[in-house]
Amino acid sequence: MKGFVLTRAWSIARKEVRHVRRDPFTLTMALGLPVVMIVFFGYAIDFNVKNVRIAVVDQDRTPSSRALQNVFSSSDYFQTVPADGRDGIDLLDNENTKAALYIPPGFQTDLTRKGAASVQVVLDGADNQTTGVIASYLGGLQRAANDRLAVAVPVPVRLDTRFLFNSELNSRWFIVPGLSVVVIGILSILLTALTVAREWENGSMELLLSTPVRPLEIVVGKLFPYSVLGLFSLAFVYVAARLVFGVPFRGSHLLFAGTGLVFLTTVLAQGLLISVITRQQLLAMQLANISGMMPNLLLSGFIFPIESMPAFFQTLTMGLAPRWFMYIVRGVFLKGAGLFEMGVPIIALCAINVAIVALAVKKFKTDLEP
Amino acid sequence: MNVTLRGFMKKELIQTLRDPRMRIVMFAVPMLQLIVFGLALSNEVKNIRLVGQFAPSDVVGQRLVRNALASTWFIPGQEAGGAFESVRSGNAHVVLVPPPGGLTRSVARGDGRLQVLIDAGNAVRARSIEAYLQRIVAETMAQEAAVAPKPAVDFSLRVLFNPSMETSLYLVPGVMVMILTLLTIIVTSMAIAREREMGTLEMLISAPIRKWELLVGKTLPYVIIAMIDVPLILLAGWLLFGVPVAGSLIELFLASFVFICAAVAVGTVISTFARNQQQAMMGGMIFMMPAILLSGIMYPIESMPQAISWLSQLDPLRHFVTLLRNILLKGGDPLVVAKHLGALLGLAAVAIAVSARRFRNTLN
Repeated sequence: MKGFVLTRAWSIARKEVRHVRRDPFTLTMALGLPVVMIVFFGYAIDFNVKNVRIAVVDQDRTPSSRALQNVFSSSDYFQTVPADGRDGIDLLDNENTKAALYIPPGFQTDLTRKGAASVQVVLDGADNQTTGVIASYLGGLQRAANDRLAVAVPVPVRLDTRFLFNSELNSRWFIVPGLSVVVIGILSILLTALTVAREWENGSMELLLSTPVRPLEIVVGKLFPYSVLGLFSLAFVYVAARLVFGVPFRGSHLLFAGTGLVFLTTVLAQGLLISVITRQQLLAMQLANISGMMPNLLLSGFIFPIESMPAFFQTLTMGLAPRWFMYIVRGVFLKGAGLFEMGVPIIALCAINVAIVALAVKKFKTDLEP
Repeated sequence: MNVTLRGFMKKELIQTLRDPRMRIVMFAVPMLQLIVFGLALSNEVKNIRLVGQFAPSDVVGQRLVRNALASTWFIPGQEAGGAFESVRSGNAHVVLVPPPGGLTRSVARGDGRLQVLIDAGNAVRARSIEAYLQRIVAETMAQEAAVAPKPAVDFSLRVLFNPSMETSLYLVPGVMVMILTLLTIIVTSMAIAREREMGTLEMLISAPIRKWELLVGKTLPYVIIAMIDVPLILLAGWLLFGVPVAGSLIELFLASFVFICAAVAVGTVISTFARNQQQAMMGGMIFMMPAILLSGIMYPIESMPQAISWLSQLDPLRHFVTLLRNILLKGGDPLVVAKHLGALLGLAAVAIAVSARRFRNTLN
């Protein structure tokens, strides 16, 4: 009864396939949900902040001040709202606008006499997701304002910027691949965490343990069908990203599929591990959420850049599979990165995979042999 | 409160909290999450790896790089096989390529042009990098005193409510909303689905309790548990991150209560569709993912397409996070509080009505 027998693992896998097929709801969810979510969110989410409502308090009322307002309203980024005697900050307070522009009296006089004038822009810091982006737009607007209003001042150094890999700065190109990692990662953990916890609750796991199957065989048998399912949904997501959003794919498909499989087995094994530890669906679910959802969404570098985290947390994220797969996916989609450049993330991903699978097998073993 | 209801709620609380692991999950983990995410996450783009391909004799170029590194946004990157390759391999996020003959000479000629290659794999970061560079170039040129140091029209920037742009200040309300949502919706829907899965719901139906007692007794304990979490999270946010409570605590708790009721009702509705816990969980996910992503916690609602932006009005999380940010950071403008609390109340009423109806139907 020692060692690993493939036929026994295969029987477990077949049993698991039947489970999945009998439950069309779960099957539809596992295959369809990622695609639906990615299409929906890919369409809905856009980091290119547009039409920010900015209240204009114009105390100068001169051609120059109107020209300055024009600079704002003619850009795609801002939509000017005349304050009409109200205070700009009040408008921020009651969420009417996100920013306010104060043009002080004497703006035009200063500009013509002294050659320099100052205006104030007030931003709503309660929402810095938007504020950060607006602040970065203001630099460009300031140059536009100078070009329009001032006597042409020669700019000594002009930046000739080339945005590599995404020259239009289309934020969907960077959201959609990242989102697929997040969605597939979360769903996979939940899938195995719950199915196996249910077997513990029903007592059918006890039955399984009394048969001659070895722990490794159980783990492999359970992971196999869900990995196949996950690969299918990864493929669907890939097609959606390419066809619906036109995200370019510049790397190797084989590398994408290979690392995808490693990532899938890692998160699925994480789900298995949770189910063995908790043996109860409600708790398994909560643990899966804590160890899966939040890190996947927030610590993977999906939205919040890892480079901006404190050093301790940067080190911590190195133990998270989604972080590495996120890096690989963005690399193969946009940069056309090859095996060599992806060496470190691939090795890290494999190491995490081995660690989690080994841990799951070990937990099963201690349960088998009390 | 009548005896049946009290007994029933007691059973529910005991059942949920008797497992010590569950107690940890319900009370300790939310605080831990708040701490981790509050400490770890920042929107500000930092530690950008910069490579400047300037010759040692290129004074202006070298000064530019020094200024960039001194700004704390940039750290030195490594050059590996040309400008493009350095960016592609991730050794650099931005590479400055001087014009032939060096930047110093080109500035002296009066037609300074600096080529900048930016890694736009992350579009948001790319935009910030460019904005930072613009600022640093302007500063450097001012130091060189080659031209007028001040631009004709100067924008002086002031950020209200959060002057140092601390991410934790605006993120803590968002994380709080997410944690409460996870706790209430998932736990409620799965707890009811579990009774159905185990067949104990049948027993409860045949027991001499009325249906409304069953519904209230089943859901109210989760409202109570979540309401205990609210002050805990607020306290952690205040002690650790200095998130102020600028507005009224009463408004804050009222908003939390209405939101939690709405969320628990949504959890109940989901449970009536589910035959087992797994389906309840999946249903919870289907509701939660869009609810979180469209709430404005992570993405600006303004830049969503019009239709989606309208749709997000139906998202209780959106109203709750607006309320929290407004009350905590801005002191609670009466008009905003009234508007979003009203919306939240409306949504809660609809959710409770639907859940009561669905619950009754599934029992019959």
